[in-house]
Amino acid sequence: MRRLGDLEAEIMDRLWTWKRPATVREVVDDINRQRPIAYTTVMTVANILYNKGWLLRNKQGRAWLYAPVRSREAYTAALMEDALGTSEDRPAALAHFVEQMPDDEVAALRKALRAAGRRTRP
Amino acid sequence: MNAVSALIGYAGVIGFLAPRLLLRSSWPHRAPVLAVAAWQALAMSFVVAVSVAVYEFAEPTGHEHAGVLGLLQTCGLAAVADHAHTTSADLLAVAVPAALTVLLLGVFSREVVRAHQARSRHRAVLDLVGRRSSTLRATIIEHALPAAYCLPGRCPRVVVSQGALQLLSADQLDAVLDHERAHIAGRHHLVLAAAEAFAKIFRGLPLARHVREQTGLLLEMIADDRALRCHSRDVLATAMYEMAAAKTPRGAFAAGGPNALLRLRRLLTPQHQPHPAFSGSIAAVAVTVPLLPLLAACAPSAG
Repeated sequence: MRRLGDLEAEIMDRLWTWKRPATVREVVDDINRQRPIAYTTVMTVANILYNKGWLLRNKQGRAWLYAPVRSREAYTAALMEDALGTSEDRPAALAHFVEQMPDDEVAALRKALRAAGRRTRP
Repeated sequence: MNAVSALIGYAGVIGFLAPRLLLRSSWPHRAPVLAVAAWQALAMSFVVAVSVAVYEFAEPTGHEHAGVLGLLQTCGLAAVADHAHTTSADLLAVAVPAALTVLLLGVFSREVVRAHQARSRHRAVLDLVGRRSSTLRATIIEHALPAAYCLPGRCPRVVVSQGALQLLSADQLDAVLDHERAHIAGRHHLVLAAAEAFAKIFRGLPLARHVREQTGLLLEMIADDRALRCHSRDVLATAMYEMAAAKTPRGAFAAGGPNALLRLRRLLTPQHQPHPAFSGSIAAVAVTVPLLPLLAACAPSAG
């Protein structure tokens, strides 16, 4: 059983890959190459994505043309900023492996590794 | 009055001197789980001391009959027989400690909720732009900057960027992912939220500042130790270096601090665990310390 979120991701994925506005019919046909899916299901989820502010739409004849509001790269960049950024008032929401650091601290790390006889990349 | 000054003195020792003592000792980095417990015990003890001090101040004759009954009474566990006349002092004695408890719980819940909302927003975007990898049991995002992090809590996610996948060897990547999973499995975000709440309420208190900073560092060490169960020290240490040293856009994420260096040195020089007897006594102290102020309040006063 696929979750609703998975179908949302599938629709966004296609629109981002095609890099052009598309109708629900086009998306349905493309998903149908892999598995059967009802037109109304995709239409409902596209509508949800529109209401969530992920998709824009324009009427083209009798059908809606959907397009992503922002590119995948823009969303990814925003994610990274959220994950790695260090705002003072950020709640303890994300735990990342190692913080980004200035050059002198990196040099100190390298020294510690060398002192222990471990190789580092040049 | 005697008990009040004793309690205030005790709170001073816990709030100002105890952190220095703990920071100077070497065992916390060798036994980070125990150390987190010790910091939390100090924080709890401080809160109890302040509460009991207020109670004692308002009710200096609250329990002339010291002993177990007095202790229970202080804890609010035993019903007081003669509560015929409720004075404003009585009210103050109960209201201030109660308010402090409510404040602590309130700020803690707010921290938890705020962090939960931030993670939900992040996860909503992540689930649309990220690619789930069932082999890695992680979500991959297409970004050149090396990054690995986790979203703890309900519906947890381990996230790794394409940059990190290219930078790290398979072993190193596994070690990093295990480190992140340790945060999720250990529910470290709740421990951190508690430390955060304490730090927000007692802003300016040395204990509060250190509890927050040290808890963060110690939780990283706990996750490192967890990753070391399945990976060599070399693998984790070099992974940490590669991730830290990767070039970032100038000024974009200039944070850091000495934590990475502390963790790296700790990985490179194997530390022997403290003797079980030592660990046992620290654990015993950690359990006792929050209760100490109650005993101080109930000791028969000489004056």
